[in-house]
Amino acid sequence: MRIGDYAPAVFILALSALVLVGVWDLAYWSGTAPGPAFLPYWLVAVGLVLSIFGIAEARSSRENGPLWPNRPALVRVVATFAGLITIPTLSPVLGMVPVVMLFITFLLVAVLRRPLLPSILTVAVTGGAIYTIFVWWLGVALPAGPLGF
Amino acid sequence: MESLELLGQGFATAFTPLNLSFIFLGVLIGQIVGALPGIGPAAGMALLLPLTFGLPPVTAIMMLAGIMYGGQYGGTLTSVLVNVPGESASVMTAVDGYQIARQGRAGAALSIAAIGSFLAGVAAVVSVVFVTPPLSEFALQFNAPEYFLLAALGITATASLGGSSAVKALLAAVLGLFISLVGTDPAAGIPRLTFGQVKLLEGIDFLPVAIGIFGIAEVLASLERAHDLQPIRTRLRDMWLTAQEWAESRMAIVRGGLVGFFVGIMPGAGPTIASMMAYVTEKRFSRRPERFGKGAIDGVAACESANNAASHAACIPMLALGIPGSASTAVLLAALILHGIRPGPMLMTEQASLVWGLIASMFVGNIMLLVINLPLAPMFASLLRVPYVYLAPGILVISLTGAYASTLDFATVWICLVFGVLGWFMIKLDVPRAPLVLALVLAPLLEVSLRQSLLLSYGSLGIFIERPLSAILLCLVVVSLVLPVIGEIRRRVRLSQTRTT
Repeated sequence: MRIGDYAPAVFILALSALVLVGVWDLAYWSGTAPGPAFLPYWLVAVGLVLSIFGIAEARSSRENGPLWPNRPALVRVVATFAGLITIPTLSPVLGMVPVVMLFITFLLVAVLRRPLLPSILTVAVTGGAIYTIFVWWLGVALPAGPLGF
Repeated sequence: MESLELLGQGFATAFTPLNLSFIFLGVLIGQIVGALPGIGPAAGMALLLPLTFGLPPVTAIMMLAGIMYGGQYGGTLTSVLVNVPGESASVMTAVDGYQIARQGRAGAALSIAAIGSFLAGVAAVVSVVFVTPPLSEFALQFNAPEYFLLAALGITATASLGGSSAVKALLAAVLGLFISLVGTDPAAGIPRLTFGQVKLLEGIDFLPVAIGIFGIAEVLASLERAHDLQPIRTRLRDMWLTAQEWAESRMAIVRGGLVGFFVGIMPGAGPTIASMMAYVTEKRFSRRPERFGKGAIDGVAACESANNAASHAACIPMLALGIPGSASTAVLLAALILHGIRPGPMLMTEQASLVWGLIASMFVGNIMLLVINLPLAPMFASLLRVPYVYLAPGILVISLTGAYASTLDFATVWICLVFGVLGWFMIKLDVPRAPLVLALVLAPLLEVSLRQSLLLSYGSLGIFIERPLSAILLCLVVVSLVLPVIGEIRRRVRLSQTRTT
């Protein structure tokens, strides 16, 4: 059994159950009109039927299944995502522009193993572009850190 | 004649220095995102949507539309020079384009792609001028049942024509509809699926979902490949076409443009399906079909004409009915809503300056793209030598900063990241992402018109077949659901016949 083939159907099956629980207390019909739970109930029904079709399709599939990345590629993806998580986590404390610049340095030097000089140039250009576009041009109040930006 | 007068006013809108600059910026960005493997026009539009908030709506829409059709031109570069399609609508271009480049005629392939895209694109915009107003007027007869069925058709047709597994596409659409349920109920005004979270009361916005699903996911997927591109070199003097190459391609441009226009106008089909159908059609019409796959220039001409024509034709249902025909037009529709403009049949009259300015900008943008892609193609080809890894971090951080700037709330950034991971899994599991985005855009119209219909009919489903128009639309919805089932049965019969022989 290839788990990846079943994953979309199982995911929607689980989500259908969650939606069903979430709208359980809401009215299906109120007075002469459909209530807030009307469409959710029907979508849950459609989701269940499609999940069954999806599972049946996965069972009868003779294709090779999902093409997962090899270990180094997966490490790059996971490390990039971990770096991305630091942006909303650290920006309120250190400021958005410095955190973004730290993230690019981490991604280029540590994850993608690029030479230092072009990496620093990329960090400077991107940091400058973000400050120019969002702070200077659009007037967005990005979170500032101890450095004042 | 009224259309031509309005188009004249549209040109006056497009020809202001601000609008001209942003049309140019849009097509330039479109050219670049189209050329970058992994980032398609829809992703480029979603990523740059937050940057348009400081612009007047008409300027913003012109720029975003420029990215949409500019992407069709840009995708050719990587297809021809590297054999890696810059975006999905250029997959078929790579089949013959790269073979032509290996034979030393890369310039000719790029030239015919640019000329074909330009001619078919301009012809499609002319059709937009004359088809959109009557369709919009006709749509004024639509009531709630027709709107419900039209929205349903937009979703089911995307799943049916998407090319991948129809079940997976419909599962993606259901996911999009589930997401749209979160927030405050549009009729009763009570919280629905918020699980006590105050931040969810306003629902999940389209923007962070689109940025995550398209932008973040595609960059994550492209970072799996660490190698740099090695494009085949081309020079300006190689761009000239021979008389024979032009003779072989001119009818392919006409046929490709026609196929692209009719496929593009259908909900859910879009430029990718258009280019595939144009390639197959051209192979059938060709006197020497054996050349296809080995460097047929008419194959390149047909595909590129088709994808650009489809990209423009998809604007017809979007402008006339408020129903997006593709992922890119879904983003464009969302941009209209985010800029405070209500899409639908009244758009042509209520926002005439915007609509006609947009249509005029497409003529201007196509001329700019022809210039960019003919004499400047070798320069853009040299851009492919800049390693993508230096661009990827910039794309990621600008998109996340843009998401934050749209609400000034880091919750939006978290939503981007969640949908970025979801989008990456969808890419890996071969689940199409366009149905999710289309469903999310169409969900409010779908739910409100469904509930209005049932309110009018006191709960009777007969309202969906009472009027001929709604009955026809219902038939189309059923056909769009039955077609993939028939296709699957035929595929299995063929497979079992192959095994027995």
